[in-house]
Amino acid sequence: MRAQSMQRTLLSLVLRLLLLCMVATGKCSGKYHELLLQLQRQADLMQNPSTLLDPYIHLQGLHSPVLKGSCMERPGDFPSEDTLWRLSRQDFLRTLNTTLGLFLRMLSALQQDLPKAAQQQAEMNIRGLGNNIHCMAQLLHGSSDPEAAEPTQPGPGPTPPPPPLPTLPLDTFKRKLRICEFLQGYHRFMRRAGQVLRGWGERRGRNRRHSPLRGLQRAARRTWPFPGLRRLAPQGQLPR
Amino acid sequence: MAFFAILQTTFLLALLPLRTYQSEVLSEPLPLTPESLSISINSTKQCLHLQWTVHNLDYHQELKMVFQIEISRFKASEVIWTGNYSTTVMQNQVLHWSWESELPLECAIHFVRMRTMVDDARIPVPRFWSNWSSWEKADAQNSLGDHPLYVFPKDKLVEEGSDVTICYISRNHQDNISCYLEDVLTHGKQLDQSVWAFELKNVSFLRKTGTNFYCQGQGVPEGVVLYVSKVLEEPKDFSCETRDLKSLTCTWDPGDDTGLIGLPSYTLFESFSGKKTLCKHRNRCDWQVTQDSQEMYNFTLVAENYFRKRSVSILFNLIHGVHPVAPYNLFPKNVSATNATMTWKVHSIGNNSALLCQLQLLGEGKVIQQHNISVRVNGEYLLSELEPDTEYMARVHCAYADHFWKWSELISQNFTTAEAAPLEAPDVWRDVMFVSGHPTVTLFWKPLSKVHTHGKILFYNVVVENLDEPSSLEVLSVPAPANSTKVTLNQSSYQIHVTAHNSVGPSPASTVAVSGHPGNENVEEGRINGTEDGFPMSWKPQSRNATGYVVEWCDGPQNLPCVLQWKNLGPTTTGTVISSGAFRPGVRYNFRIYEISTKRMAHLLEKKTGYLEELAPSYNPHVVPNNLTSHSFTLSWKDYPTESQTGFIQGYYVYLKSKAGEKCHRGFEKTVLPDNSVCCKYTIDNPDQKTFVMKDLQPESVYEFLVTPYTSAGEGPLDDFRKVTTPDEYSHILINIILPMIFCVLLIMIACYLKSQWLKDKCYPDIPDPYKSSVLSLIKSKENPHITIMNVNDCVPDAIEVVNKPEGSKIQFTGTRKSPTETKVTPQAPDCQPGPLTSPENLLKTLEQNYMNSLGEIPAGEANLNYVSQLASPMSGDKESPPTNPPEPAFCSEYKMQMAIPLGLASPPPSENSSLSSTTLLDPGEHYH
Repeated sequence: MRAQSMQRTLLSLVLRLLLLCMVATGKCSGKYHELLLQLQRQADLMQNPSTLLDPYIHLQGLHSPVLKGSCMERPGDFPSEDTLWRLSRQDFLRTLNTTLGLFLRMLSALQQDLPKAAQQQAEMNIRGLGNNIHCMAQLLHGSSDPEAAEPTQPGPGPTPPPPPLPTLPLDTFKRKLRICEFLQGYHRFMRRAGQVLRGWGERRGRNRRHSPLRGLQRAARRTWPFPGLRRLAPQGQLPR
Repeated sequence: MAFFAILQTTFLLALLPLRTYQSEVLSEPLPLTPESLSISINSTKQCLHLQWTVHNLDYHQELKMVFQIEISRFKASEVIWTGNYSTTVMQNQVLHWSWESELPLECAIHFVRMRTMVDDARIPVPRFWSNWSSWEKADAQNSLGDHPLYVFPKDKLVEEGSDVTICYISRNHQDNISCYLEDVLTHGKQLDQSVWAFELKNVSFLRKTGTNFYCQGQGVPEGVVLYVSKVLEEPKDFSCETRDLKSLTCTWDPGDDTGLIGLPSYTLFESFSGKKTLCKHRNRCDWQVTQDSQEMYNFTLVAENYFRKRSVSILFNLIHGVHPVAPYNLFPKNVSATNATMTWKVHSIGNNSALLCQLQLLGEGKVIQQHNISVRVNGEYLLSELEPDTEYMARVHCAYADHFWKWSELISQNFTTAEAAPLEAPDVWRDVMFVSGHPTVTLFWKPLSKVHTHGKILFYNVVVENLDEPSSLEVLSVPAPANSTKVTLNQSSYQIHVTAHNSVGPSPASTVAVSGHPGNENVEEGRINGTEDGFPMSWKPQSRNATGYVVEWCDGPQNLPCVLQWKNLGPTTTGTVISSGAFRPGVRYNFRIYEISTKRMAHLLEKKTGYLEELAPSYNPHVVPNNLTSHSFTLSWKDYPTESQTGFIQGYYVYLKSKAGEKCHRGFEKTVLPDNSVCCKYTIDNPDQKTFVMKDLQPESVYEFLVTPYTSAGEGPLDDFRKVTTPDEYSHILINIILPMIFCVLLIMIACYLKSQWLKDKCYPDIPDPYKSSVLSLIKSKENPHITIMNVNDCVPDAIEVVNKPEGSKIQFTGTRKSPTETKVTPQAPDCQPGPLTSPENLLKTLEQNYMNSLGEIPAGEANLNYVSQLASPMSGDKESPPTNPPEPAFCSEYKMQMAIPLGLASPPPSENSSLSSTTLLDPGEHYH
């Protein structure tokens, strides 16, 4: 258990160093696979309940089997797996970016309810992932890869609107459970996002001929959807 | 009388409205019943709030009344509480009263009614209750939704140790609902068809985020959070002080945290000024001193939370609570070897009031000087009587001089005094070795103690003064930290002076004298016993003019290099105890006691040797058994060093075990070993005896023996028995015979080997060459000079022996010619008669004799053999070539005259020539008939 915790801490440290490196240089990596791998690793880290949900459960005393059993993701809090698979890469990144931006706001509102260290750690992770999302979006926008505009899995449906922030009940017990559900949904969502990102890697392996690296130097004009996050590349915008 | 009283009451009651009427508007008297009773519910506080008025109260004055209140739960008839509420009622006053329910109000419908009675002293008794008001209903369930399950009370704040009642309302009566406090299943009491209550006794604080109580039916669990607060403690150690007479600070110990964020609050009141301030910290509060020179303050600290209010008070005199700020800029100046001046500054207080400062001087962590100085702004003090080259710490703190309350915080500064010349001469001793008659002196000195060095010792000066040649001085400089040096002298007398030098100068000199001739070393060595304190020893002075004594010894065991130690003793001392942390039990230490003469010459007085504590020998000698006989053997352990043992060896024990379990021999005693085996033991009480003869043993027996030394502490280990087997009685005799025999045989074999050529010559002489025979020379010279060898054809046999094989007939000398196949030539050389035949006569005689002998010796069974002469060549006519198959010579004959050939091998078949081979060689001149 301690060894796992140590591994997680080390992984988190590595990711943070990567982020710091990028922030320090202010440049995005132009290597698609490297960037994709980072996104996958960050998603894997953030899907781990020990980073946020478990500390919350411990702090609030929700560790009984009954309460843990009722701490399930509530539909509608985060985009479903089906939705994510049907999004194009650009739309996926946009949805991921928006959802995490909203989650970041929620975290700020939950300062009194969450362990401080876990909350700060989660914020750092989300900001790091946001930077890489930005870089990946920039990379995809500059490429002529037709897959960039295609969904990972074929299917109908436009880009869904971001889910609204949940309204927390006044009843403290219900609030505790609701936050628990919300955090559970966050980890599940990150797990789904990681699976989609792995799907990108697999498809990329099958369709090597569509190189995303072509046209990488073209500047993209897009808005930065992360509220409160400093943009790494001011001239870049997420594709719309 | 009673009747009179009733009349009076009736009269007063009748008079009451009358008086009202008289004062304002007279009206008809009405009963004083509570009116307009309304109930509201405060869920947070679980309170029923009652509000009512009293009609028909016409007095302008207040009237004291009692209200009796009844509260029912679920049904009006189920009264759960009855109580009185007394108050003074005014006209048109709306009255309020609250009742806190243990059961959350949402879980049950409550009914309330009341009645009243005048309880005013002005109204004479007896007094009567009014009629009950109608039941008023309080139903909090109306506000609930349509959820199947509700748990109450929500977010209740309770104090640790209190009891709490929690209830749930289930809309679905079929549900099997379980409730848990945290994760512990809790059992409740059913109050109604749909209501259950749970009484939690003596709740305790679990966490700041509250204790969870929840129930689960079919769906999502419903629950409540109980916020349990720890009991607010009374602030302890409440005190106030000022640092500058401009503001003051009150501090206290708040005790344990109540566990709830933001609670409790602390407020500081000052009663003289009437001011108060809300404290920003839970253990400290700041208060600004007003300009009106208020000296006395009456402070009250109030700690308050939801449940309790605690307060403590003190009366504080500002002047009596001055705690100055720590001084600053503490520095040494003018630091010499023994003096230093310390300077510092202080923060001014009030109107430049004086401060009492305390300057402390610390050496090695202890306060060695302490001085009090009155200071207004700058402090200064001269520290004296300091040690040279010593690190000190000076520290200072100050207090308000007008009234001591508390020292300020300390500030400190380290400084080191300057060096001075060493104070004492080094302690010097010498070890003198005479090499080739010349003394080689090794000088040892002990490092000076830090108190005496007064600085870092840089080197030692050694001045060698030859007393026989006063002008001869030799100076050696030995750099520190060396503590010895070696000086080679000649056979004069010397004085050696040693001084230690630091950067300032030398120490006083230490002097030792050395004679050029060896002193008396033949001093008997005495034994001493060590104690816990060391080695006590005493000696007898030899000279009355001794200036002192020195005891020297080596700190380590004898087998290690000697770390020479010595102890100087005064001239009147005749005994001392030598102690050292290096002394170990079981190690022999040798001490030498010297007497120091007035000329600083050392004379050996006594030698002592001893152990701090004797131990049993750690190992046994290596014993060699020898001289082994059938009845005895000798044990020897001559190489066992008795000097280097763990105690004085007092003797040896010889243990003997025999397989046969014999009785112990004379001198031995029977003993039982630690392993319960029995053996015989012999005690050798002479430590110098290192051989022992084991006698009276049985032949061909196995014995085990062990030799172990013993000291006063015990004997050596008994785990190294060795075996020896005695031989039988005759083996030595056999050895005495067999060994010489083997030796003789070997000698003979060697002699034979060395004389082999001689033997060969004797026993196997070379076969004579017939062509070189002297017989030929005789023939040549007498008859025919051309004849070289006798031809068979030239011979006329005159005797042939025929052997009749089948019949085994008797061999006869018939004189007939021989058969071509079975012929025999009989001449045979005589045994062991070397040398050529000297004459034909001799030859013939010899041949005849041998022939006859041969006939007589041939056994009957061998008569079928052919006898072939080997003297003649088988190849007739080939006189020049040697015989192709020379026969082997027989033992002890010059040549072999005949050889036996089996019939089967007698090939080739006899030819004419070959038949000649059987011809007897005869002298041509003399035929044998």
